[in-house]
Amino acid sequence: MVTSSQNRPGTPSPAGSANEGPEPRGPRTTTGRSVSLFPDRSFQQRAGIWIRKRGVGPYLLLLPATAVIAALILWPAVQVGLFSFQNYGLMQISGVLPTQWVGWANYSQILHDHEFWVSLKISVYFAVVVVPLTLIVGTLVGLLLERLGPKMRMFVSVSAILAWATPAVTASVVFANLVGTDGGVVDWALEKLPSWLGGGAHWAGYSWTNAALPAYTVLTVMLVWTGFPFIAVTVLAALRTLPSELHEAARVDGAGPWRDFWKVTFPLLRPVFLVLALLSTIWDFGMFTQAYIINGQLGNPDQYNLGLYEYAQAFTQPPHYGVASAAAFVLTIILLIVTVGYVRAAIKQGALA
Amino acid sequence: MGLRKRSAVIGAAAGVAAAALAIAGCSSSSSSTSSSAATGGAASNAATSGASSSASGPASLTVWRMGGSVPSQVTWMNSVVAEFHKEFPQYANTQVNVKWIPWGNRTQDWNNALSSGKNIPDITELGNTDTPAEAATGILAPLNSNLSSWSGTKGLVPGMLANDTQSGTTYAVPWFGGVRAVWYRTDQFKKAGITAAPTTWAELQADAVKLQNAYPGTSGFDAITNDTNAFASFIWGAGGQIATQDSSGKWTGNLTDPKTEAAIKYYVGLYTTAKVSPSKYIGQTELGNAGATSGGPNEDFGLGKLDMYIDGPWAKATLPKNSVDTANISSFPIPSQNGPNPAPVFAGGSDLAVFKTSPNQQAAWDLITVMDNPANSTSFAALSGFFSPYSAEITASENTGGPFMAGFAKAALNGQTAPLNAKNWATADNGKLNIIPTMLKQLMQGAPFDSTVAAANTQLANVLNTGSAS
Repeated sequence: MVTSSQNRPGTPSPAGSANEGPEPRGPRTTTGRSVSLFPDRSFQQRAGIWIRKRGVGPYLLLLPATAVIAALILWPAVQVGLFSFQNYGLMQISGVLPTQWVGWANYSQILHDHEFWVSLKISVYFAVVVVPLTLIVGTLVGLLLERLGPKMRMFVSVSAILAWATPAVTASVVFANLVGTDGGVVDWALEKLPSWLGGGAHWAGYSWTNAALPAYTVLTVMLVWTGFPFIAVTVLAALRTLPSELHEAARVDGAGPWRDFWKVTFPLLRPVFLVLALLSTIWDFGMFTQAYIINGQLGNPDQYNLGLYEYAQAFTQPPHYGVASAAAFVLTIILLIVTVGYVRAAIKQGALA
Repeated sequence: MGLRKRSAVIGAAAGVAAAALAIAGCSSSSSSTSSSAATGGAASNAATSGASSSASGPASLTVWRMGGSVPSQVTWMNSVVAEFHKEFPQYANTQVNVKWIPWGNRTQDWNNALSSGKNIPDITELGNTDTPAEAATGILAPLNSNLSSWSGTKGLVPGMLANDTQSGTTYAVPWFGGVRAVWYRTDQFKKAGITAAPTTWAELQADAVKLQNAYPGTSGFDAITNDTNAFASFIWGAGGQIATQDSSGKWTGNLTDPKTEAAIKYYVGLYTTAKVSPSKYIGQTELGNAGATSGGPNEDFGLGKLDMYIDGPWAKATLPKNSVDTANISSFPIPSQNGPNPAPVFAGGSDLAVFKTSPNQQAAWDLITVMDNPANSTSFAALSGFFSPYSAEITASENTGGPFMAGFAKAALNGQTAPLNAKNWATADNGKLNIIPTMLKQLMQGAPFDSTVAAANTQLANVLNTGSAS
């Protein structure tokens, strides 16, 4: 009792006040008194009182969102989880054969599949390159935006946001055409470049999409292009909350812009960077749409990332929905591990505590 | 002051983090639910409605044709339907709907029809390599009793019917056959000083170089990686095999046999050493990227950027509208390693089958007997550069096809299908693993020969035997 009353000043948030235990006494006595004074209050009012007394308000407010998430994400996820332990294919969907439980067989098949490890390697390398690149470019643009005047800042942010707002399919088709072998502007420009810059006739008809390295190079450029504006705008928003006194103090102490960034800005924004890195990792590691289009749909398995690998399991003939579900869960688990890692780091930083 | 601002930043960060977790949930589970979502959405995919049967016959029959709608084939189908109504008066009021399914969508559409039970075809066309796998999948109705009482059965090419039969049960009837050959232009051959069509590998390569020299900026040949149906001719033309099945049904991969390896080396060398094929064809089919329905060598040949390429006569339909010269197009059979006889070719083609869940099994079969009778199947084949499934009609057509068809007719006499019709071939070669295309691609991109071929060979045998690579 004593501890809870001591805690009370520390939890002034609306969520705290709605809980039954630590609810401040004042409002409750007020409502109690008003019940006796106005016995003929409406249903809504009585329901409101009941909700406040029981402290179910927050849960009621959470209910619609939870229901939507449960129906659209949790329930399908549960089904995918079940499929991943079943021999689930076309015969099972159509009811020709009964569904059989196969234990961990689907998972074991994936883990023994050479193509799975190839695609995992591609996904990991891709994320390791793209995430830092996106963060660096985004941060640099964010720092630039902070220094610009209002008109220029508006111009640059709108241009950047347009890149971010470009739908993945549109961006992929545009890039596929840019690097096309027949009339693609990239091959054309490289061919025109003088040879001391690496240009030359050997670029004519160079295919960017028939091997993993060039294809994922194109994807890297594209994902950095579509990904950096979000980083830039978020970093800008965070930068503008920083007190200018700190920068002034640093400058007085003789720090240049480089030291100012690493000694003042970066430590203060570290939690923001952690979150941005987590988001970028999730986006880039699970990439599907862009890889599907740039690689020319499924193509050959030596160019699959995890997203394409998973899709190929389910949607090439014969369909192996069980194996694909297992692959989906493996991808989810990898992302969960990454997420937990980031969240732990964030908690250590004190960002989420 | 400074501290308060910092806590504001932290609060903002926490908010973003919460959003991040919510989005993380979205992202990961959208990928994990993709399979069920797509199957759910599949129902809305098909268009024509199923038929309800009445005493006098079904109100309508739905026929799934493969590819894009071709006007001459629509006219042909109309006359077949008129004949159907005349021959079977009980179906006089039955409407026949034809739905065109792009080749790339066919398995997905069959799967959707079977799994949803909606928008199902009564009759479907299938590629002859599809038939064994689809019969095993259970989408096709057995036809034995129908075939035993049909007048057409006896005249069909026995090998084509055998391809549609699994352990004594026949699931489809051959409708037309088609083979690939090398396309070229007679005017280009003349300018390059080539007097006779090549009959050996060495001549083919030398002619490709001659054509490239006579037409600077063009490529002599298309060493594409993702068309095993065409590449098989090189293996067979060296006396090799892709994979063979012993009497117990067990498959052995033959990719590491010396004869097969010679074919792989020659084909890869067309790109790596002879340099008659451009790098952009690595990873492509004759129509470009895996899922494309036009482009690639077919388009380049039409536009005059490619001098010779392998395709079937049906590919005339996909030549670009602005093709430079269609009058001089001709064909010769794919050469064998040392000549003089051409290499065996993959005997492709299409079958007709009754969909297993169709409520109108008898009516569907009756329509097939009209579509596929000797006269109609022959007139259909003639429309599109195919061959009739009837032995007598093939022999008759060899002299009537004109110079363009002559090369194909010659090639058609030497057809082979195995192992491209093996039950698990679809897993080995069509999209899921692409074992041979990936092997060719990696070799062209510099992978070590022996280990790459050996790995592909092991994988191929595993898949053909078990349906899975591991």
